[in-house]
Amino acid sequence: MEELASRNKIKFDKYRLKKLVIALLPLVALIALFVAYLIILNANDYNVSMNLKTLLNQSIVLILVATGAIFIFTLGQFDISLGANTLFAAVIGTLAYKASGNIFVLFLVCIVVAVACSLLNAVIASIFHLPMFVTTIAMLSVLTALATFLIQSEGTASGTSFSITLPSNLVNDLSAIDTPAFKISVVVIFMVLMIFIFNFTKVGRKMKFLGGNQNCAKLTGISVSLFGIIAFALAGLGAGLGSSMTVVYAHTVSTTTASSIGMSVFIAIVFGGMPINGGARSRIYSALIGGISYNLMTNILFILFQSMQGVRDGLVQVISGIFFLAIVFVASINYRSKNLPR
Amino acid sequence: MSDFSNRTKGELILEIKNMNKSFGPVTALKNVDLNLYRGDVLGLIGENGSGKSTVSSIAAGMQKADSGEMTFLGKKWSPTSMINALENGIGMIVQESGTIAGITVAENIFLGNLNQFSRFGFINKKELYKRANDVLRQIGIDNIDSSMIMGSLDFQSRKLVEIAKVIMKEPEVLIVDETTTALSQNGRKILYGIVDRFRKENRAVIFISHDLDEIMEVCDTLTVLRDGNIIRTFKKEEFDPDQIRLSMIGRELEGDYYRSDYEHVYGEKVTISLQNATVNGHMYNINLEAHEGEILGIGGLSHCGMHTLGKVLFGAVKLDEGEALVDGEKIKNEIFATKKKIGYVSKDRDNESLVLSASVKDNISIAGLDIFSIGNFLVLYSKENEYVKKQIDSLSIKCSDSGQIVQTLSGGNKQKVVFGKWIGCGSEILVLDCPTRGVDVGVKQAMYQLMVQLKQEGKTIIIISEELPELMGMSDRLIIMKNGRIEKEFLRSKDLSDAEIIGYMI
Repeated sequence: MEELASRNKIKFDKYRLKKLVIALLPLVALIALFVAYLIILNANDYNVSMNLKTLLNQSIVLILVATGAIFIFTLGQFDISLGANTLFAAVIGTLAYKASGNIFVLFLVCIVVAVACSLLNAVIASIFHLPMFVTTIAMLSVLTALATFLIQSEGTASGTSFSITLPSNLVNDLSAIDTPAFKISVVVIFMVLMIFIFNFTKVGRKMKFLGGNQNCAKLTGISVSLFGIIAFALAGLGAGLGSSMTVVYAHTVSTTTASSIGMSVFIAIVFGGMPINGGARSRIYSALIGGISYNLMTNILFILFQSMQGVRDGLVQVISGIFFLAIVFVASINYRSKNLPR
Repeated sequence: MSDFSNRTKGELILEIKNMNKSFGPVTALKNVDLNLYRGDVLGLIGENGSGKSTVSSIAAGMQKADSGEMTFLGKKWSPTSMINALENGIGMIVQESGTIAGITVAENIFLGNLNQFSRFGFINKKELYKRANDVLRQIGIDNIDSSMIMGSLDFQSRKLVEIAKVIMKEPEVLIVDETTTALSQNGRKILYGIVDRFRKENRAVIFISHDLDEIMEVCDTLTVLRDGNIIRTFKKEEFDPDQIRLSMIGRELEGDYYRSDYEHVYGEKVTISLQNATVNGHMYNINLEAHEGEILGIGGLSHCGMHTLGKVLFGAVKLDEGEALVDGEKIKNEIFATKKKIGYVSKDRDNESLVLSASVKDNISIAGLDIFSIGNFLVLYSKENEYVKKQIDSLSIKCSDSGQIVQTLSGGNKQKVVFGKWIGCGSEILVLDCPTRGVDVGVKQAMYQLMVQLKQEGKTIIIISEELPELMGMSDRLIIMKNGRIEKEFLRSKDLSDAEIIGYMI
């Protein structure tokens, strides 16, 4: 019996260790990627400070959009229109800023437009009883088309591409907030707010429950439509802030702005440790860790494949895809091991 | 499949030696030894979490043991999967649904073997459906068409398809894990017929059930497990319900099992009612009232409409005609029902009453968020922990801590979590659809005592069940449904006999 007790204690310790390792894995991956990035930058004589600034700008937008999107993914839903939403909000925000010259208007318009577009997804899905994913596909096309039309009609041509660029006086005004301190503050405030809603309010708790089992949630008196709408509204808030920050650092909007963010958000939050099916084990910090890790990974790959200009973008996407599949596979092994009968 | 034509009764067919298994911190099996002989129907019985499903699922290839050896037909047995085990002679009908919802019945039955219907890369669906229908009809299932989508079937029909899927392979050892609770009388008849055929053909069966009467009737020998240990094996002539119960729980059951009184006493106030309630295809012109402090039983065969009735009372199924009322107000939907303090325990526990991937705490606290939140918004963790601990303690839920994932709990403890969810939030009306399905005798008794306590507190309890002894033992009034209509109402009485009631059910 003593031998059995000792064996069980070892097993228990192993179990706790395994849980801890799984929980820490995304953070370890982030640190490893960051160290690798610094080594590669130095080895290739890149300007480290400039590249870290670029990484910050890239990550800020992805983290903001992904943080809001966590609420949608928690429900087991997927919004493919987030990139188009960010682009459209950025276009309208830029036009409003150009017209008013007021930075506050830029932020307000970006947020209002993104939240409105996101809500439209949920409301249409709710009214017509469609899966939310279906409405987001339609919204992706509509918003991309509208943004392209506005950029072409209101912007200027450079070769074959069009963009809306801010005049220099407005760029100067933006430089006051185009600082790491401001951007990091925005991310911190937004994340704290979202963590609070997600973990410490009835809204967050019900969303996680709903994502775990929709049938059970309904039979516990939780409204699927209402919490779908709230999730999309919060995702819209993230997209609105993300689009504002894009304008702040880029000073221009083109048809390729935020074009791949819809897919990047998905990869990033899974990279950050978010369960693929959402539910109770969803975590907001997945957006932070995953957002930075994803950009680190793509930046590293871009440097490694710098000599293969013609195929570099495609190659980076293929490798990102393989990484994504590997992460999903590892996560699913962990999930299956918890599904054993007793 | 191997040739098994020479089967000798009494020959050792499956031997399990010194088997150990743990799930994280929880030890499920401790040095278990088990022998199974040809022509034998071996019953496994024990409390929830005793290790019955674990030992049998290891033999059936669902999971691996941590240590120990298995020998099947004289050779070392180490199946790589359930399909591998079934192909080589051991098939298992699992406790919860073991089928895939999004494909047809036929595709489920021939899962992994669809190539035999393939011509030039295309499946001959006509042949597939015909063969699958033949399989279903051979074991007496005549109300399921194999072209139907699995997800469109009810829980019992899904279970019958699963039985067909396993039996089709004609395994040498059949493991039936807590299956009969999902089946109606007719479904059980089909399953008992299969078990009997296996016995006569000198194959072997491991039969797991919490129903002592059933297991004593069906099995030739009975092995009792407790906390992952084999406690005792009884031969048929040694079967004694009291001795078996004692072995199972390690102590005498104290207090009453069902209610000890035969009074039908309850308050005058009608708490919940149905008026001419009709759901086309399921139930017609149902009129009923339940009162404060009343246990109202609703019984019948599985398809009599009683499960739909339960969902109607919770607002989860819309009425085509008539009204469902709580305190005189129309029950609009599930949200309204919970606001009016109605709780609903579904028969399909894993799909409709629990979030399996969430913790015990998450599942219990979700219905009581209003109780421990400030300003109807902010959740207070300390109060939540107290709230959850109270439910875990009062219902004696066996878990390592409140953070344990519900998926890893035994069936009875899962059901206790569901009870904790609805009792903790102060439900005044409880609609319990098959509340003791898959629950062992000790937990059953605790649940019955809890129902009596809730009745005494003035709560309304509606028990929907296919278990007549349970309904007769607990109900103040018993309503029997047949073909979607109320057939008969009985008042609680010492003289009530199951023979009389069954007459109105069939």
